[in-house]
Amino acid sequence: MLIDNIAGAAEAVFHLKTVGLMFLGVTAGLIAGAIPGFTIAMAVALTLPFTFAMQAVEGLSTMIGVLVGGLSGGLMAGMLTGIPGTPSSIATTFDGFPMARRGQPGLALGIGVWSSFFGGLIGAVVLMTLAPQLARVGLELGPWDFFALVIFALTVTASLAGPDMVKGLIAGALGLLAATIGEDEVNGVARFTFGSDELKQGFAFLPVLVGLFAFSQLLSDVQDTEAARQPLMPKGAKAVKIEHRQAIAEVLKRWAVLVRSSLIGVFTGILPGTGGSVANILAYDQAKKTSKYPEKFGTGIADGIVAPESSNNATEGGALITMMALGIPGDVTTAIMLGALLIHDVIPSPSFIGDEPVLAYSIFIAFFFAHFIMILMQAFCLRAFVMVTRVPRYVLAAVILAYCAIGVFALSNVDFDLWTLFLFGVAGLVLRSFGFPLAPMILGVVLGNIAELNLSRALTITDTWETALAAFLTRPWSLFFFILAVFSAVFPWFQAARAKKRWTRAYVPLLTLSVSVPLFMMGGWVRPAIGTGLLALGAVLLWRRARHGWPTQDTD
Amino acid sequence: MNRDTGVAIFLLLFCGVFFAATFDIRETSYGTPGAGVWPRIILFALTLLGAGYLAQSLKRGRAAGDEAGRGLKGWLATYRNALCCYFLFAVFLLTMPYFGMFLGGVLFVFCTLTALGRRDGRTLLVHGAIALGAVGIMWGVFTYGLNVILPQGELFYGW
Repeated sequence: MLIDNIAGAAEAVFHLKTVGLMFLGVTAGLIAGAIPGFTIAMAVALTLPFTFAMQAVEGLSTMIGVLVGGLSGGLMAGMLTGIPGTPSSIATTFDGFPMARRGQPGLALGIGVWSSFFGGLIGAVVLMTLAPQLARVGLELGPWDFFALVIFALTVTASLAGPDMVKGLIAGALGLLAATIGEDEVNGVARFTFGSDELKQGFAFLPVLVGLFAFSQLLSDVQDTEAARQPLMPKGAKAVKIEHRQAIAEVLKRWAVLVRSSLIGVFTGILPGTGGSVANILAYDQAKKTSKYPEKFGTGIADGIVAPESSNNATEGGALITMMALGIPGDVTTAIMLGALLIHDVIPSPSFIGDEPVLAYSIFIAFFFAHFIMILMQAFCLRAFVMVTRVPRYVLAAVILAYCAIGVFALSNVDFDLWTLFLFGVAGLVLRSFGFPLAPMILGVVLGNIAELNLSRALTITDTWETALAAFLTRPWSLFFFILAVFSAVFPWFQAARAKKRWTRAYVPLLTLSVSVPLFMMGGWVRPAIGTGLLALGAVLLWRRARHGWPTQDTD
Repeated sequence: MNRDTGVAIFLLLFCGVFFAATFDIRETSYGTPGAGVWPRIILFALTLLGAGYLAQSLKRGRAAGDEAGRGLKGWLATYRNALCCYFLFAVFLLTMPYFGMFLGGVLFVFCTLTALGRRDGRTLLVHGAIALGAVGIMWGVFTYGLNVILPQGELFYGW
């Protein structure tokens, strides 16, 4: 059965047309990723309209190609100019740029490319292994648990807004509110139409997404007229020959950094809401902390390139695990992929892998295969990438705005979708300029219906509101996610006051102690055993810190 | 009053308008929670967050470099290009029934390029070529490659 599914998926992915589309996708992703300010999410969102006329496997393989290409393209700009192409390659510039300036740009690029490749492969292997297992866990989740999971996803994403978490939460709530406009799925009743017939259908997903993310980003890029007339990358940026052999040797010599960073990437990706932008910094930081020569980091050493580049490619493996196993997007790019699945009438849920095995395994294989294409295309097309990045920013903005309109209209041939694009384009720029993060809003739009459907189911199953609310706190998975949501909501304050205020010394022990409670409630022996370990860890940490009088930096 | 205070007050008013609109949602008796329940939960949370944001902004006071102090002129100077693009995009949408996607798109790209870039003779020619080439290729891909029927425009009916 498994072999049949894999064979069916391989046949679909390795079809000439699909392979050709993947080559196009990876190339587009590499170029988009190399352009500073052009995020991967934007590239994947702009690819979505092209996939309408394709089969589900073709469309998703193309989008995965763009995703993998984008993750690897970001390193080129970072290494050649010092300006990271995407937020997920910020840490790559710390050592990549100094190494390139030292006269080894070919080696720096090679290490980056091959670290991305190996990191992506590790991510793909974990994806194939873990997604079906997590989907089995997902089958245990009831409507209470899914609702709590959505709340957790939103608080995690909002907490990444840093000290302005209130703004992150407001953005998330605005996204949820935007998703309620139009007929509701449970009762079929129109909401917030304000007398407009067009609003009865609600806002289509793609125009909202492209408007919020791409439209507003493009317009914020051209605010400064002089900067907008400059090329995307300085004229000094030159194509170089990648030194593959030496780079592979350097990467494999650092296999421990590679594997650790890839695993950091995968598990960061599994957490709903977090993505490559967090993973690359986290992996770099861990590589530096565990290194025998931490003082050399930042001077252009290979370890400083291997860690962030392997982790950011592996992150998408993790994000795809959550999307495929639970139907909850791991980050903004997988939120768009989720939209693509919905367009093809495929609804990701814990039963997705069982119900649509060929499509599920196609995603696995496409993610794996896209990394090989990335290596090929990166090696051959570097010169072309540099040429594209010499285009002035305003030219790119004007052309892409027109593409946004054509792509959005193509979704369902409805004029109102273009006005939705315009409206959310304005909203996106206004929110950006007032310092509101857009990622929580996008997740809010995507997760709004899932949250409402599950809340409605939970309230319908139980007789009274009291029993329904009690179920949210007595069901183990629901309690587990609510505890994580509370701690992630407090996280920005914890991070800001870490080791400076006494209460922060109790954060980690209290987290482990609290999480152990639902684990005990889950039954069996594995989860209570993990709960016992966490309980013991929390108790030891509390005891040690209390014995030392809750030390802070000042008292140290 | 700083910029955040203004935004927070606007947000609270926005919540008020939407909360009032929840009472226009038709009640059902299907044995499921009403269609207004979920929006009210969101609006309750949003109002609480808005109030917290307002309190935070009042506590913070007028921050250094606050854009509110720069007045309308400063704001217009910052967002001149974005406003220009929005205006051109709105014109593009309003005239689409007449010009269609292809001609409208070409005109939109050309006007946007000219508004944002330089305006000498040679550059205008380059802008025209970019607009025609970029929109033409994409229009061709969707029309002939993906069989999507894009708006033809009244101007071209009967051609």
